Amino acid sequence: MLESIVEFLILGIVLGGIYALFSTGLTLIFGVLDVINVAHGEFFAIGGYIVFATVVLLHLSPALGLLAATTGSFLLGLAVYPLLIAPLKRRLGRRPQGPLFLVLTLGLSTFLQSTLLAIGGGDYLRVPPFARGMLDLGFTAVSYQRLLILAVATLALVALFTFLHFHRQGMAIRAVALNPDAAQAVGINLGMIFTLALALGVALAGMAGALMAPLFNVYPAVGFAFTIKAFAITILGGLGNLAGALLASFVIAIVETLSVLVIPSQWQNVIAFAIMILILLIRPQGLLGRADR
Amino acid sequence: MILEVNDVRAGYDRLEILQGVSLSVAPGQIVGIIGPNGAGKSTLLKSIFGYIRPFSGRIALRGEILNGCRPDQVMRRRVGFVAQAGGLFAEMTIEENLLLGGYSVGDTGTVRGAIREVYDRFPLFRERRRQLAGSLSGGEQRLLAIARSLIIKPELLLLDEPSAALAPRFIDEVYETLRKLNAQGIAMLVVEQNTGVILDTADRVFVLEMGTNAFDGTPAELLADDRIRRLYLGSEAA
Repeated sequence: MLESIVEFLILGIVLGGIYALFSTGLTLIFGVLDVINVAHGEFFAIGGYIVFATVVLLHLSPALGLLAATTGSFLLGLAVYPLLIAPLKRRLGRRPQGPLFLVLTLGLSTFLQSTLLAIGGGDYLRVPPFARGMLDLGFTAVSYQRLLILAVATLALVALFTFLHFHRQGMAIRAVALNPDAAQAVGINLGMIFTLALALGVALAGMAGALMAPLFNVYPAVGFAFTIKAFAITILGGLGNLAGALLASFVIAIVETLSVLVIPSQWQNVIAFAIMILILLIRPQGLLGRADR
Repeated sequence: MILEVNDVRAGYDRLEILQGVSLSVAPGQIVGIIGPNGAGKSTLLKSIFGYIRPFSGRIALRGEILNGCRPDQVMRRRVGFVAQAGGLFAEMTIEENLLLGGYSVGDTGTVRGAIREVYDRFPLFRERRRQLAGSLSGGEQRLLAIARSLIIKPELLLLDEPSAALAPRFIDEVYETLRKLNAQGIAMLVVEQNTGVILDTADRVFVLEMGTNAFDGTPAELLADDRIRRLYLGSEAA
């Protein structure tokens, strides 16, 4: 039993790394722009398609595929704020905007899914593992592919947190998330930071999609389940709170994975939402969120 | 003149709050703006700093038109803005707030040098540089906001009610700091509800009333104007 727990714990930690990569992006976008990006899962799918194109079609290395997926989704993300969100913001002026942005990103989600369907077709595309073989731990074994996912996700998240705390533009992103008016008073161009934060957020989704491509088939709606789960993680962690999202990602992934030891696996996906509802009832601001958000 | 505002009309959406306001600030001068709530004092500062775009009129800094500039563009012209309250990043450290004060400067070495000067002026902030800004007292937070605005080495500071919600002891400290900065050549445009303290400090005072100019003169001239004195100073100066 103990061996099973350790084995599932390791699987949970790996899954937590992917949830963290994906949810941190969603949380970053919400924290800075106050926009819930319903199209986040489509950027996950785009990452998968780009890695398929580079690794399977162009026979390039997985490292290049990962780089291309991250850069490609970042560049696409750069266009979202100036082309979609900023024009709507300008037209709406000081009126409440949240629900309209939800509809806007829902429209973007449908548009991107249809575009992926038109370009790549509806087939499930397979991406070979980036790393083959298993690490034998004696009582259990973990695939190098999963360890690679965890290592890359950890590196990416460390890089993100380092950027946000020590780089001038990263600090500006945090400043805008905390107090947009004060950010303007120190000369931060809000439009530029909104564009950058959104691009960074979707680049994380694209990277997660590329990393997970060998474990899932790639198809236009592959990111949908992740998006729904990321909403639960974002709420659990505290809306807009990056550290909270990180913590919630691992809490949900580990509880989800360990749950199969005690409940039938078809109930596994319900776990995240059961925890989310429970937390919302007990602590509406989430694990690390502030009560005023 | 370092700042000239001519016949500016501005507001929010279609609501016109400023209905043709004019004023000017000479180099090294402290200019106060007083008036009742809703007169448009803060709207005027926000129009100058680029938070809101004037509907019409002319705002010029050293002769260069500012209309339509964003706050970051105004700030690059060495204009600092100190908000009424809550203008800090409460969940960031004192040092991070100061570093962000130099965001528009770009060059890290220059910003670090300016922060050292700020620490020399306010040793308290050097000692507590790793402390969250939100954990400071109200008066210390106001001083930090002023200190942060100095990182760009401003020629003109726009201050929105620097005495708001402060105990008298801190009001004296804040204004003492402002006077010292002014003595070093920084011009200031100060919106203030506390008429006593601004009349003691300003070289020139403008009174706004319903979005228009109601008075323009020195504090002594204001005190000699019976109507204005009765309306805005009440028993204080009677």
